[in-house]
Amino acid sequence: MKRYLGFLVSILVLISLSFSGEFKLDVKEHVLPNGMKILMIQKPGAPRVVCHIYYKVGSINERPGITGLAHLQEHMNFKGTKMMGVKDYEKDSEIDRKIDELMEKIYREKYWKTDGDKEKIAQWQKEADELIKSEKQYIIKDDLWEVYMKNGGTGLNASTSNESTGYYVTLPSNKVELQMLLESDRIENAYFREFYSEKDVVMEERRLSENRPGYFFDEQLNAAFYTASPYHWDVIGWMDDLKRITKQDLKDFNARYYVPNNAVAIYVGDLEPENIVKLAQKYFGPIPKGPENEPIRTYEPPQYSEKRISGEGPGASRITMMFHIPPEGDPDNHALSLLAGILTGETGRLYKSLVKEKDVATRVFASSRPMWYAGAFTLSATPKSEKGVAPEDLEKEIWAEIEKIKKEGIKPEELQKAKNRSEASFLRGMQSPMFMAMRIGRAELNRGWRSLQKDLEEMKKVTEEDIKKVAVKYFVKDNLTTGIYKRSMEFPTKGGQR
Amino acid sequence: MRKILSIFFAITLIFISIGNSQITRPEQLKYPPLKFEPPDPKLSRAVLANELRAYIQEDKSLPLVTISALINFGTIYDPKDKVGNGDVMEATLIKGGTKTREGSAIEERIDFLGGVLSFFVGERTSTLTLSVLSKDLDEGLPIFFDVLMNPEFREESLKIAKGRIIEDLKQANDSPSSVLFREYERLLYGDHPLTYHPTKMTVEGVAPGDLKAVHAQYFYPKNIIIAAAGDFDKKTLIDKINQAVSNWKNRKASFPLISKKFPEVEPGVYFIQKKINQGYISLGHLGIERTNPDYFAVQVMNFILGGGSFTSRIMSKVRSDEGLAYNTGSRFTYRWGFPGTFSGYVQTKSATVGYAISLIEKEFERIRKDPVSDAEMETAINYYLESFADNFTTPIMTMQNFAQLEMEGYPMDYYKTYRDKIKAVTKEKVLEVANQYLHPEKMAIMIVGDWEPCNKGSDKYPGPLEKLGKVKTINLRDPLTGEEIKAK
Repeated sequence: MKRYLGFLVSILVLISLSFSGEFKLDVKEHVLPNGMKILMIQKPGAPRVVCHIYYKVGSINERPGITGLAHLQEHMNFKGTKMMGVKDYEKDSEIDRKIDELMEKIYREKYWKTDGDKEKIAQWQKEADELIKSEKQYIIKDDLWEVYMKNGGTGLNASTSNESTGYYVTLPSNKVELQMLLESDRIENAYFREFYSEKDVVMEERRLSENRPGYFFDEQLNAAFYTASPYHWDVIGWMDDLKRITKQDLKDFNARYYVPNNAVAIYVGDLEPENIVKLAQKYFGPIPKGPENEPIRTYEPPQYSEKRISGEGPGASRITMMFHIPPEGDPDNHALSLLAGILTGETGRLYKSLVKEKDVATRVFASSRPMWYAGAFTLSATPKSEKGVAPEDLEKEIWAEIEKIKKEGIKPEELQKAKNRSEASFLRGMQSPMFMAMRIGRAELNRGWRSLQKDLEEMKKVTEEDIKKVAVKYFVKDNLTTGIYKRSMEFPTKGGQR
Repeated sequence: MRKILSIFFAITLIFISIGNSQITRPEQLKYPPLKFEPPDPKLSRAVLANELRAYIQEDKSLPLVTISALINFGTIYDPKDKVGNGDVMEATLIKGGTKTREGSAIEERIDFLGGVLSFFVGERTSTLTLSVLSKDLDEGLPIFFDVLMNPEFREESLKIAKGRIIEDLKQANDSPSSVLFREYERLLYGDHPLTYHPTKMTVEGVAPGDLKAVHAQYFYPKNIIIAAAGDFDKKTLIDKINQAVSNWKNRKASFPLISKKFPEVEPGVYFIQKKINQGYISLGHLGIERTNPDYFAVQVMNFILGGGSFTSRIMSKVRSDEGLAYNTGSRFTYRWGFPGTFSGYVQTKSATVGYAISLIEKEFERIRKDPVSDAEMETAINYYLESFADNFTTPIMTMQNFAQLEMEGYPMDYYKTYRDKIKAVTKEKVLEVANQYLHPEKMAIMIVGDWEPCNKGSDKYPGPLEKLGKVKTINLRDPLTGEEIKAK
């Protein structure tokens, strides 16, 4: 115990980020012996503390068959533990185990066989339904959620991305201990009740996405762009997998990724770092270290030829062009990010050319998005259908703009503007304690939060020549997937009617 | 003395709790006391030149400044044959330039500084906001006031804006959630300025002269409140604003009279056909105004019914218990000067549309019949009390909140008295307001979905949907013409 205290004082370090020589961001950092990292930022003001915890797990840690599992786990982490959500753990877990046994039989009969016995399935399902009903007497509904809200928890949510999963709550500054108790309990004592009805909820969530015009096309476009790496599937997962994922899949996943050495907790607001560290020691400290996880093996191989995908649906026509770019941390990304800034926005090149001068598009967009193991530079535009412009017409116009940059480069003031915007926009994000926690917490998981500072500094060094170079290097057809999406139904007579 | 003792006791408990790791329930945690008083609006309020009102607070935590002008103007004042004035104005106030600056030059300069200048036209309040690095305030501030006071609405900017608005109109029937939102309001408010939508004709008809007239009618100092926070010296900023607006003349207020009469809606099911795999549903009727003295009790009641996320009855039943939906609950919406809406909502696969609606209806009945539990009251009241400080997370948000309160004519002790009003809500009052403001017998149930599977239902709740009330079909309108699209 004494050893811990000494450790506490010595490792509490203060690091300052300096922007434009004026702004200093202090992140206090503490690493627990089990490898869990605690970050703290003091932001005096309202007596509130943003409490986030991030895990290095997302859809890229899945494989075909269990796509959507990282997100399903995020949902299941709200369904109670040995302490939360249950009146009598022993009795409840006995019923829960029986439900799992029945459901396993059902899944095998239903999904392993092509001619499963429907009567058997119906009988088992009936038995399972009875058990689910009888389990209700032991369940305290949405206990965790209620405890957080009763204590003034806001911003209560969680989210899963390709690479990470975050759990969020903002609490009164005197109640941070509550988050430590509940989150450490979630790591140590996760217990996945109501698994089967929660899978239904997630399938409804997927259906909500499906009903968004253009969703299916975008999902296919993404799958065409990322062929080998696990970015191939969306975070929500394929419907077939959502149906077939088992409780055991979830338990295995949980054991592997929900361990302290795979987590970062970040606190932003009206806080005293010493107190936060003491509490973290008490609650997260005793959790045993878990296994170390190997990074992703499969990167995206080169395309060698252009890919095109075309589709129709009930949404606005548009063109999307996606170029592969390197993962986060590659020096080319600074120039690529500025290049996106030069192309996008209402004073950017695409808007000036396609919307203002040529009047062929109504919206244009460019973004550079490096991720942990892959990346995409995306250009998209909505054609002005009133003038009979088709997405293919815009393809030519966008290529013309790209070629111009490859040949003539850019103007110094364009580059300076893009730099100023990036820097100011980063600063602006730091106004919100919640955004601050998200940005810094997530950055920590991959290359460490200091990479935010380093990236900004490196970005300032980018030259006009660097921009031209990356345009020449990445904007080539063999590196491109083009998506052409057209409104399928003649507008408007059948637009909303069938 | 008793207070000091209780604080001492609480602190002792914290240390005990830190020393004791055998906590078996979160209720065993004891927290140090926390006292929070909301900021006093008087301390940040100022009346500037020409009676321009302002809420201003220094905030040196970042080298940034944000300044907003809240204008007492919105789309509700668009005349029926000029619906679209507000939308086109939103897109051209900045881009259309001023008497002395081209729109593109303004955008180019603000972008170069890494700033953001944006204009938003709401239903009755519009907001021009500038955010710049504090070192650039002296350059940004004159641009901000020039745009606010002297817009030119040059023809070229209108042409581009109209092209985009018309392209967007074409997408008006694409997304089921936006169709539901629009048609539900249209049904409840009838043909009224609150539900007017632009068409291609009305958008194309907007001329620079129309926008200049609108600007002249609503943009004057007495009709605007400034909210500003950031890295500046308050007195210096006030001097600069005074200088910028010193020649800006007031005019006599002139607002169109807008009816507060709304149609009696025939109860029943209103079905909108869309070939999708879920039903998007709203069920309810008109709600209350936010100035209603029962507002606080209604908030608490709705929190328990379906507004309190996972702690609410509807979410717990429809999502957690039954797995029928990702998103479900109930809500009261509020709008300045008019009653808002009340609705239960859910999106669920077609086969369970009827079942999900029936479960929500049961919860409407239950909260009208039986008193809520003590535990439910405790959760709801504590949520509002304990999360209260969230309203003041950033200084600019606080200043904007104050400006909005004053704009809408609320008493400026709104925040000061807020917690007492929440504390005063009792179980009896919750039951009373549930009966007074929820009327299941008068409800319109609107469904956007695919008729056949929705009507067929499932084992737990077989169709037809007639069981829920008389079914009427709503045909969508062609958003370009506003004419009904006849089903084939």
